[in-house]
Amino acid sequence: MKKVYSGIKNLIIGLFTTGKHLGRHAITVQYPTERWPMPERSRGIVVLLSDKETGELNCTTCLLCMRACPTAAIRIDYDKDEKGKRILKDFVVDQGICCFCGLCEEACNFAALKMATKYEFATYKSEDLIWHTDKLQEIGRDVPYEKPERKKPEAKPAAPKPAPAPNPLPAPEEKPETKDGSKPEVNDAN
Amino acid sequence: MNETATGKRTMILNMGPQHPATHGVLRVQLELDGETVVKATPVIGYLHTGIEKNAEAKLYYKVIPMTDRMDYLAPMSNNLGFCLALEKLLGLEMPPKVIYARVLLTELTRIASHLVWVGTHALDLGAMSMLLYAFRERELIIDIYEAVSGQRMMSTYFRIGGLAYDLPEDFDKKVKNILKVIPERLKDYERLLNDNKIFRGRTIGVAKISGDDAVNCGLTGPILRGSGVNYDVRKANPYCGYDQFDFNVPLGKNGDVYDRYLVRMEEIKQSLRIVQQALEGMPEGPYQVHAPGIVLPPKEDVLSKMESLIFHFKLITQGFTPPRGAVYQAIESPKGELGYYISSDGTNKPHRMRVRPPCFVNLSVLPKLIEGGLVADVIAAIGSIDIVLGEVDR
Ligand code: SF4
Ligand code: SF4
Repeated sequence: MKKVYSGIKNLIIGLFTTGKHLGRHAITVQYPTERWPMPERSRGIVVLLSDKETGELNCTTCLLCMRACPTAAIRIDYDKDEKGKRILKDFVVDQGICCFCGLCEEACNFAALKMATKYEFATYKSEDLIWHTDKLQEIGRDVPYEKPERKKPEAKPAAPKPAPAPNPLPAPEEKPETKDGSKPEVNDAN
Repeated sequence: MNETATGKRTMILNMGPQHPATHGVLRVQLELDGETVVKATPVIGYLHTGIEKNAEAKLYYKVIPMTDRMDYLAPMSNNLGFCLALEKLLGLEMPPKVIYARVLLTELTRIASHLVWVGTHALDLGAMSMLLYAFRERELIIDIYEAVSGQRMMSTYFRIGGLAYDLPEDFDKKVKNILKVIPERLKDYERLLNDNKIFRGRTIGVAKISGDDAVNCGLTGPILRGSGVNYDVRKANPYCGYDQFDFNVPLGKNGDVYDRYLVRMEEIKQSLRIVQQALEGMPEGPYQVHAPGIVLPPKEDVLSKMESLIFHFKLITQGFTPPRGAVYQAIESPKGELGYYISSDGTNKPHRMRVRPPCFVNLSVLPKLIEGGLVADVIAAIGSIDIVLGEVDR
């Protein structure tokens, strides 16, 4: 009998505690019609940013983002002009491999690539997750960003040498190039 | 049907790997005699990701996103262990702000992880509403993660040599909100569970382990402290400035599921205390240590100073090279002692990275806990160990 009473007491305490929450308004939102405001830093899909005035891509084809990517989700194809300057041919991001770590954004110095606060990119086929330059640029058009002030690097009389790093770094490996100067870059700097 | 030595007929039952109460893809092979468990064998490896091996092929800074994915309920702890290990190897001293921010965020991680635990564990034992409440409170912490690091679960926020970015502006406000809300809600949980007949009946005296056995099995974390052994890496071997904070290590007595529950609830409260102290004492200052070549230089410098540009380029393309040697750094993750052993051969990639995962070691004690008990207690026992299979399999 005692057991029954204490059981009922537990039940009442439980119902009372849960009942308190009955009157509260819901903390969830009806997703497709309502959305959470995304924090400014939130890391969604990778997009390419373009200059606000000219509409050109900010990317200078420095390949740093590709080298920084731990999952090799970024591939950059480029040509070289007669002066040896790289010209971007295709910027490919495989959104299916991307792990949204943000290291590429950290690597980019020219505000050319950003993790936008967008997150809806589901498709039926995994191939559709491989995005090329135009798509990345298009989706990045309305992404707000601040372009860093670009000052000329201080002119140095001699060839600039890095100050001695605490630990000497190994020399970069030279990669063989194909004859026509364009090389499909593979991210092997993992 | 098998025949045991005593002539009893037993049955083999596979629990998992797709069982909601095994908290992931754990498979337990149970040999049953009626309702009694005669023998239990955990089978793991369904979530093997090869993170340790993968790390050997990656530059040091690229390993951080991978560590998130081990214990996905406590990403900040995983980041912290790895970063501390490398900072030890490199001999870097962190500025006070980094220390405080790291402590604050890892303690929030502990709260979030314990909240998930208490929710899912209570759900396993039949208290459905606990899950909803615990996840609602966890959401507050996850929101902080998102505001701070940009991601809700895979934060990748700590860097070797500091933090990835500075703390956001409304950080104080959000943490204060947590400090206000969670203690109240904890009272609700305790009212729902502590004296609940069903909960007590299913946890008290279940899956007992004595302190000596727990030590011999190498258990760490709340499961060890539930058996009354006072071992907490934060106290025993302070790292990341934990000796500057005032907190207690709660201990259980009986070493059963109920005591582990009490220990975890008390740990949440102690973590809240640490969070409060860290927030009040949060110093101003840089959020990264000044170590060119190891830490990325600020963006403004990169475009104006040649050295910074070169350091930036070198760090991204080639990483940095710590000196030869090996290092072991243990931290108290929500699940127990999480240790990183990193052996460096003087190149820019780890020669070997070994993780001492608390979940893996704690899981090994499962047969001891459940053999001789009932099938229904298996669920309570698995729940009380608090495993995350991502970390068990790595
Ligand atoms: S977010 Fe990470 S994984 Fe994704 S493209 Fe950038 S560096 Fe690669
Ligand atoms: S780091 Fe920036 S500028 Fe360089 S290739 Fe990548 S997107 Fe372009």
